[in-house]
Formats: sequence, structure tokens, C-alpha cells
Amino acid sequence: MFTFIKIAWRNIIRNKKRSAITLSAVGFGLGALIFIRAFVDGAHQQMIENYTSLVSGQIQIHARGFHQKEQLEIYITEPEKISSSLKENPYIQSFTYRIKAAGLVSSPEHSAGVYILGIDPRHEKKVSTIYKKVKEGTFLTESSDKGIILGIRLAENLNVGLDEKIVIMSQALDGSIAAGAFHVKGLFDTGTEEIDKGVVIITHKAAEELFVMHDKTSEIAIRLKNVEDAQKVSTLIRQKLNSSELEILPWQEVSTVLEQWIEFDNGFIYLIVIVVMIVVAIGILNTVLMGVLERTREFGILLALGTKRKQILAMVAWESLFLGVIGSLFGSLLGILLTLQLGKTGINLSMFSSALTSFYMDPYIYPVSKTDHIIISIALVLVTSILVSIYPAWHAANLKPVEAIRSI
Amino acid sequence: MSLIKINNLYKTYSSGKNIMTEALGGVNLSIEKGDFTAIAGPSGSGKSTLLNLIGALDSPTRGSIFYENIDITKIPLNKLALFRLEEIGYVFQAYNLINTLTAIENVEYVMLLQGISNQIRRKKSIEILKRVGLEPYIHRFPNEMSGGQQQRVAVARAIVAEPKVVMADEPTANLDSKTAENLLDLMKELNEEKGITFVFSTHDQMIMSKARKLILLKDGKIAT
Repeated sequence: MFTFIKIAWRNIIRNKKRSAITLSAVGFGLGALIFIRAFVDGAHQQMIENYTSLVSGQIQIHARGFHQKEQLEIYITEPEKISSSLKENPYIQSFTYRIKAAGLVSSPEHSAGVYILGIDPRHEKKVSTIYKKVKEGTFLTESSDKGIILGIRLAENLNVGLDEKIVIMSQALDGSIAAGAFHVKGLFDTGTEEIDKGVVIITHKAAEELFVMHDKTSEIAIRLKNVEDAQKVSTLIRQKLNSSELEILPWQEVSTVLEQWIEFDNGFIYLIVIVVMIVVAIGILNTVLMGVLERTREFGILLALGTKRKQILAMVAWESLFLGVIGSLFGSLLGILLTLQLGKTGINLSMFSSALTSFYMDPYIYPVSKTDHIIISIALVLVTSILVSIYPAWHAANLKPVEAIRSI
Repeated sequence: MSLIKINNLYKTYSSGKNIMTEALGGVNLSIEKGDFTAIAGPSGSGKSTLLNLIGALDSPTRGSIFYENIDITKIPLNKLALFRLEEIGYVFQAYNLINTLTAIENVEYVMLLQGISNQIRRKKSIEILKRVGLEPYIHRFPNEMSGGQQQRVAVARAIVAEPKVVMADEPTANLDSKTAENLLDLMKELNEEKGITFVFSTHDQMIMSKARKLILLKDGKIAT
């Protein structure tokens, strides 16, 4: 076998220019594939991180049916019991309680329909980054019972500023009118219009009073040590709590839109993979087939001397595999180095910042290389290089010695 | 018993629709062990076709070719490669070496296919290359050698595994007369020294004059 490998290798060296062009095609193709995959992975990671950090959390626990209906009447009755179980879970970094309700907020001049969020300021800071988005004033504190923060767009619509009074009106859990006056402590600007125009935040304690929800909560939002564990940890929590009255949702189920967007992106990547693989396949096929056609006489001699057809097949396949392996080494090195470098500096896409913000992305995207994606890309190139050798190898192995030797 | 016995051998080629060309039309001959035989004739007489059929590189339309008592026309195609490997050595016209292998690697190639160990392969190859006067060139690639040197490597490759017969198709066609004579002398020496049977197809007068047996072909039939 070694001699056949040696012949295959020397055939590659024999046509240095042609081999170099093929290796460039394979290398740049794979390098581009690794980089594009890393860019998309980086963008997805950012989207997930930003989305789950901003408000949602990475796992949400509700009473069953809350996610679909979002009604105040669907609440968790004994959150402390769940809390003690969550504290034992090694995958969980922190968690917080939230009361969620729809209502009306009014200033002396205007009013607007809003989503009211009751949060525990101290724990919320460990779960979400909404406190970082406060552009004017301050975030809520434990003692801000009459304080409220709201989106900067909503404040414009209501024409209110810091320390001004606004009134929340809704329906409490017991059916009574829930009404309360709050002072604007801060204004946040998340860049997401639906939040900036439609959400107000008060303390959990104030929400309990307002909605008559003592010792109850609508949601427990969880932040994990690693967001990629969301589905696994959700299953673990389900098994641990073992309650049919609760729904435990990883972020993929909380925001199906984000999940679908990521799926769509991945689908688009598959298209790119197919295009790159076609380029790689044509490159290798061209070199190997040309090599085989040029060496028809030589293959005729090999067959005449007693070389078996399967040995000819192996020889051509090795040639193709060599091109695939060397091209892959070059390509993976190129792709990984490019990813590492741009992973440090980031890719400046600030000219699209408004569009990026809508998709929870920052103006700088940091490509992230994932080992499994690199391995899959390399394996695809290698498999392609073997597959495209089938025709030239079959052609060479099925030559008739007499006719092949006569050829020029 | 003859080494090779050919009975009533026909070969017809079809070229295009319903156009049949008869290259051989009922050839009968026998070649004895140790013969130094030339099959001669003008272009198109069928000598290369006959050599290819005797060399198991092609199959006849009709007739039989016996090697001792084996009819090779009955050997299935997939086993014919093994027969060629074990029984026959080949010297083709010029440019018949594997360009990516050195002289010694070319010589070793047939033994490699036969599964002979690396050590024995190397030893026998060096010996035979010495014998054909190419010791200083054993690590050269074909494109680093002259046409005559390449043909000597081809002869060394053909005989190194000690086949029953060596088929040489116009081996001197691309060589100058001096180199051609040296090559023929070498093959004759090897024929006498090792008892290997040589069968040539040629229209070179020099080969015809050196052959101990001459078979003349004309229009696909034996003329004498």
C-alpha cells in the first residue's frame, strides 16, 4: 500500500502549480466556512446572551399556563419551596422573582397601555442587565416602594421626566381595582422598541401590594452559569420539582421567535456549506481528473504489469485525500487564526447598529470558534474529497490496458 | 511441450457501425521455452495485436492460447491481472516506466505486487540493475535518464521477478541504432543466461537478425 500512497503523493508534487491552485481553493473554501460559522455562532451567542440578559432570563418557571395567557391569576403559590431547590442546583448562577401584569399608566397629560414588571432589585441585577440600560436617574432599590422606572420612549409619550408622578391602574388578584401613584426614579433605553415603549418596572414588594399578591409571584427567572445548558437544566429542574402545576421553560421555549431566527440562520449556513463544498469538489475533481486523463498511458502500464483495479482505485483516492487533507490543514489554520484574531478585536458593524439592536446584537460581533463546528467542516471537506475521487478512480481502474498504453 | 501454443486465433475489431476489421485471421503457432522469437511484419499486419493477445492484455474473438496446459482465453478478466503478474514480463515502446517512481522503485514494483518482502525486493532490484549496467542511476527518476537507460530499467523490471516469458513490443522503436543494439545484446544475454523466453513484435531488421526464430505476419496471417 505504501508504494501506492507514494505514487499518489508524488503525483501531487509533480504538478505543483495545479496542486497549489486546488489547495488554495480547498483551503480558502474551508477557511471561509470555519470563519462564517464562527461569525454566525458569535452573533447567535450575542443574541442569546443579550436577549436572555435583558429581561427574560435563561430559564423561566411559572404556574402552568402563564406563558401562554400571561394572566395575574396564574401564579406560583409557594415560591420559597422552589427557591430552596434551585439553590442546590450547581448549574444555576442566580434567580429572581417577578410579578407580571398588564395595566394602564397615566401622566397628567397622557396614558398608555403597558406591561408592569415587579422585580426584586437586588436579585434582578444578578439575573438581567436591565439596570445597565438606565440612562437617566437610577435603578430601583429595595426601599424604592413608590419608585418606578420606565422606557425612555414611553416617558416621551407620557411627557414625564425624573421625579414626576405617574399612576398605574390595573386589576388586582382579588378583582379589586389596583391603582397606585409612583415617582419616576429612572429611564431606561434598551434599544428594543417594544420594551422602551411598553414596560414599566416597580419593586416586587410594591407589586405584591398593588395586585394583592402577598407571598406569591408570577415568575422565577433563572440565570445559568452556561447558557448552553438551558435545556438540560430545565429538564433537571422538572425532574427535581416533579410538579404538573409548574411550567419550566428554557429560553428557546420562552422566545420561539429567537429560536426560529437562529434556526433560519443555521439553515442559511447549510446553503453556504453546500456552495463551498461544490467549489471544493470542483477544484479537487478538476485536478484529479486532469491528472488521471494525462496519465492514461501510465495507468495502462500499471494494469498491464498486474496492478489490481482496486489498487488503482486506492491510488487515485489517496491522491484526492492528500489534496483534501493538505487543503484542510491550510484552511483550518486560516479559519481558526482569522476567527481568533477577530474574536479579540471584534467586527465593527456599527453602520448597521439600529438593525442589529432589533435582533439583540451589539455593534461589534465577536466570532466564536466551536470545536465541533470546526471538526464537522473539516470532515465535510475530507468526505467531499473522497467522494469526488470516485469518478476519476473508476475511470482509471476500468481502462483497458491495450487501449490505455496506446494513448498519447 | 511448447511453452505457448496458439490455435486458430482470430481477432476482429469493430470500428463504427457494422464496420469490422479483421486484425488476425486464424493464426497457429508455438513458442518453445527459452526461445528468442521475433514477430515481424509491416504496419497493420497484426503483430502488436498478436503480442497483446499472447501477453494476456487483450482477448481474442476466437481461438485459444495455451500457456503450457492453461488456456488463458478462458481466464476471467479479474484473474487475468494475476496471471500477467505471475507469468509475464513486459517491455513496451519508450516512456513505459512509472514517472513518479525512481529506477529501483520501478524495478521493485512488480515484486511489490507479488507480495515479496521489502528486503528481498531491494536486493534483487539492485542486482538486476547492476546487471543491466545502471547501478549509478538507481535513484534517478525516468525523466532524469536517457531513452536507452529507461529501456534498460524496463528490461530489468520485466525480468526481475523471473517470469516465464517477456513480451517486448517494438522495444527499440524510439532508440538510436547503437543504443538499440546494446539493449538487444543485453536481452539476448539474459535469455541465454537465465533461460527466459523473449517474444518481440518488431519491424526492426536488427531484432529480426538477432532472433533465433522469426514469425512473419501479413494481413493477420502467418506468411511463412
